[in-house]
Amino acid sequence: MIELRNVSKTVVSGSEPLTIVQPLDLSVPAGRHVSIFGPSGSGKSTLLSLIAGLDAPTTGNIHIDGVDITELDEDTLARLRGRKIGVVFQFFHLVPSLTAFENVLIPLEIAGAIDAQRRAGVLLDEVGLQDRAHHYPGQLSGGEQQRVAIARALANEPPILLADEPTGNLDSTNGRHIVELLQRVQSSRGTTVMLVTHDIELASVADVVLRMRDGKAEKVTADGLRREGR
Amino acid sequence: MRFVVRMAVRELRASWRRLAFFFVCVAIGVGTIVALRSLIQGVGVAMTAETRALTAADVVIVSEQPWSAAALAIVDETLADEPVITATKSTEMMTMARPLDESKAVARVVELRGVEAAFPFYGAFELEGNQPYRHDLLLNGGALVRSELLTQLDVEIGEKIVIGNGTFEIRGVITREPGGQLGAFSFGPRVLIDRDDLVSAGLLQFGTRAERQVLVRVPEERIETLVGLLRARLADEAIRVRSYRNTENRIARNLSRAENYLSLIGFVIVILGGIGVWSVTRVFVQQRIRSVAVLKCVGATNGQVLTIYVVQVVALGLVGSMLGVGLAGMLLAFLPESLSEPATMVPGISDLSYGLTASAVAQGIAVGIIVSLLFSLGPLLEMRTIKPLSLLRWGTVTNSTLNWGQVGVVVALTVGLVVVASWQAASWEAGFWVCGGFAVVSFVLHLVGRILVRLVKSLGARAGFPVQYAVSNLARPGNQTRVVLLSVGLGSFFIIGIHSVQANLANAFAMEIREDSPDMFLVDIQQDQSDGVTGLLRDRIGQEPRLLPVLRARVTGVTGQRTNLTTAREVRRRGVGREYTVTYRGQLEANERVVEGEFWGGGQEQRAEVSVEESVRERLDLEIGDILRFEILGREILATVSSVRTVDWDDSRSGGFMFLFRPGVLEDAPHSFIAFLRGPREPRERAALQRDLVAQFPNVSAIDGLEVIRTVRRILNYATLAISMVGGIAVVSGILILVGAVAMTKYQRLYETAIFRTLGAPSRAIGLMLVVEYTTLGTLAGLIGSLGALGLTWGLTRFLLEINWEPVALVNVAGFSLTALTVSVVGVVASLDVLRKKPLRILVGD
Repeated sequence: MIELRNVSKTVVSGSEPLTIVQPLDLSVPAGRHVSIFGPSGSGKSTLLSLIAGLDAPTTGNIHIDGVDITELDEDTLARLRGRKIGVVFQFFHLVPSLTAFENVLIPLEIAGAIDAQRRAGVLLDEVGLQDRAHHYPGQLSGGEQQRVAIARALANEPPILLADEPTGNLDSTNGRHIVELLQRVQSSRGTTVMLVTHDIELASVADVVLRMRDGKAEKVTADGLRREGR
Repeated sequence: MRFVVRMAVRELRASWRRLAFFFVCVAIGVGTIVALRSLIQGVGVAMTAETRALTAADVVIVSEQPWSAAALAIVDETLADEPVITATKSTEMMTMARPLDESKAVARVVELRGVEAAFPFYGAFELEGNQPYRHDLLLNGGALVRSELLTQLDVEIGEKIVIGNGTFEIRGVITREPGGQLGAFSFGPRVLIDRDDLVSAGLLQFGTRAERQVLVRVPEERIETLVGLLRARLADEAIRVRSYRNTENRIARNLSRAENYLSLIGFVIVILGGIGVWSVTRVFVQQRIRSVAVLKCVGATNGQVLTIYVVQVVALGLVGSMLGVGLAGMLLAFLPESLSEPATMVPGISDLSYGLTASAVAQGIAVGIIVSLLFSLGPLLEMRTIKPLSLLRWGTVTNSTLNWGQVGVVVALTVGLVVVASWQAASWEAGFWVCGGFAVVSFVLHLVGRILVRLVKSLGARAGFPVQYAVSNLARPGNQTRVVLLSVGLGSFFIIGIHSVQANLANAFAMEIREDSPDMFLVDIQQDQSDGVTGLLRDRIGQEPRLLPVLRARVTGVTGQRTNLTTAREVRRRGVGREYTVTYRGQLEANERVVEGEFWGGGQEQRAEVSVEESVRERLDLEIGDILRFEILGREILATVSSVRTVDWDDSRSGGFMFLFRPGVLEDAPHSFIAFLRGPREPRERAALQRDLVAQFPNVSAIDGLEVIRTVRRILNYATLAISMVGGIAVVSGILILVGAVAMTKYQRLYETAIFRTLGAPSRAIGLMLVVEYTTLGTLAGLIGSLGALGLTWGLTRFLLEINWEPVALVNVAGFSLTALTVSVVGVVASLDVLRKKPLRILVGD
């Protein structure tokens, strides 16, 4: 369960304060698929980073399964992410010096998983990369790198998966595969998925769509979004 | 912890090539420490293993004067009370030797030792050709000599030489000698004869400087008691008593001091390596920002991340230290002959072997790891400020303002370095001085570097695009300019500085033999020989030498306004207890200046008057009018201090005396003369003059000043070679740091070059940029080294060596040009990749 109460983010740009996310209340029950849709600069990624605990809000509180993460220090936040939140980035952000297998292994080892090696193998299998396990990121295609990143994000079976433009750096075929993978994860594992995108098609497959404009978020229906798109 | 170790191993697997430079930096410093420590410890083992052989006895009693009846009686009585005892006498002195063959016109100063049959109690003589040593070889006019003398006098075994009034047959060549003097400096080669022959050769004339020794063998447990008894009973005599243990302690003390101070030199190199480590780690951390952010994003805590990298640093420090130990081992195995030569010149340690010692290796490795950690701590702690958010938004990475963490790092680094330096020098004081000195030098070099970079930048702003870009590169964010300037500048500063000091020292010695300076000294001329010597010199070189009357005197008491010393022992404690050569004359010499009192003013007083040298006044805290009690030839003479003089010791034309008496008191006392003269230029004539003087006046020693200067220069050259090697290592460290700096900033440079090329810049312009950038960097480093060296030379010559300072243009210009050239060539060659890579590959790759 994700709960946002009066969450906003303001930064100082030059000497002027600039509000990137206007005060927002939001409740996402477990197992739901939420899209955050909007143009560049609308505040989607900032909202996602606030929920991931990568950034602190200017006002308000964010609760993850009842825990107010705005009260936590960096290390406790890191541990919480390790257990509860998987993050997928537009630019994959794999560790270039580690193989695909090792990249998936890291969160398992950090969490002290006993059967880390086996689970990393299963995860790579799940994303269809068992043959590429010992390749370095530089030897993989963009789509393959993103699949490794998703496997890594799912390593500790987090109840929440946050994805920031996961297909933004991929061609349409690879993008489609990634979306299917995310949908499969959500339905088979019951994972809460929050997806940031500016792709209407991608956004409209979600249960809930949050449209952002100039830092303001409003709920819209998938159909409404599709109609807008036409 | 398992995760931390595994991650560290994975990271190392991927980045060890990039970090190779890290352990090279550590290796050079550690190698220097291990090599220097092992070397000195090796010498120590060789020397202390046989300290009894170095003294040749358990206890040695030494007098510079002929034994007084009283002193001899005390010695005899004390020894008679000891249960088991053997004693033997030996006399050592400096004198002249010449071939008996008149056709060989040469005479040389030798260090003569007369021994009895029992000598030595410990150790053994080794003679050339495995000839066994027996005292019989010395009986009836036999002599054993060092091989140098055979060459110098052009004689062979079996031939005869003349020493004093005696003729000696050379019966063997000494290769190792027990009871020799320690130290590389000697006036001449050793000649060993029977002690009775030494006495009968008429060498022990009045006033002759000779060391008369009684060597004693006594049971081990009695040594300390006997030394204590003799010292107490002989307190008022000018007699020294020492045991082989004193020698052992003295050698151990001197060696450990040498070892510790040399290790500090190694430590300075380690610090340079540390700067390299810091620079590598800084760039490495910048390159790992995303990986660290990823780790934090997937749940790694700050502590885990930091530990991953600290483990890597320790591993690299360890590997670097091991590499350093390997380098030291190789260095010792192939030690240049020229460096081991001075050590083997010391009698008794000719079979010196060098190897790594366990304690040196352990210390080197410990220092390597500690310094690696200390210097990488700052950049590594910056990892704490890396936010996982940087994966989403660039620019939220580090906090550049000063925080308590950074202050803590600086404090830890400073304290850590002082502790390591103090540990290396085995002295807190030395540790503070070295770290303080290093900090001041680094700060000054750093400041000069900053000013120069700013100056060049403003000059470059008016030039064309390549020059402007090259110069702005020196000040770009993340530049390595200051690190390179500091390290290369420091290296060249050492080398230029030490060569300039050597040149200044050489000049100071050259001054002594200018046209009007004497270059030959005659000592021990007896009163009845003065006319003869004068006559001979007048005939041979047309000069009448100035004969200075000299007597040997000892201060035994002071009655003064601030100082009252009643016994010789109290005087000795003030450091004025030794026997001095004194003279009398009515006028000041050119190298003397009265700073207090009046030089022989007013009427002659009843009491003798003495003028003292400034340093004596300081040691005894004297005032004009104080009374000094002297013992001259067994007589007590009271003298009033009537003036204080300074003596310019550099100017040896007139000699220098600590105590100068007013004429009228000592004329009637028996005394000898010394003479200064300028010998013939032609070496053969010089040798002939020495030979003729010695033939006619056998007890007179004619010391060739040119020979002495040559010896001093040789020792000076060894010192310069050794220090230059250290400076060379510093420069190599600097060059390595430069190569590392080029490699570290290469990716950014490749990217920029690709953009320039895409925008139409030809290879020539890009090449020009590189050349201008590195030539400027080299010029600045050379300038810093050269300016620093000028300061160093000025300070050393003025305050430490007290000689005239002259800037040495050749050394400075050569050092400056070589530094500039090396840096520009190394920099450009290391960056050639930038010119070769295709722009598209780099842009796409990025």
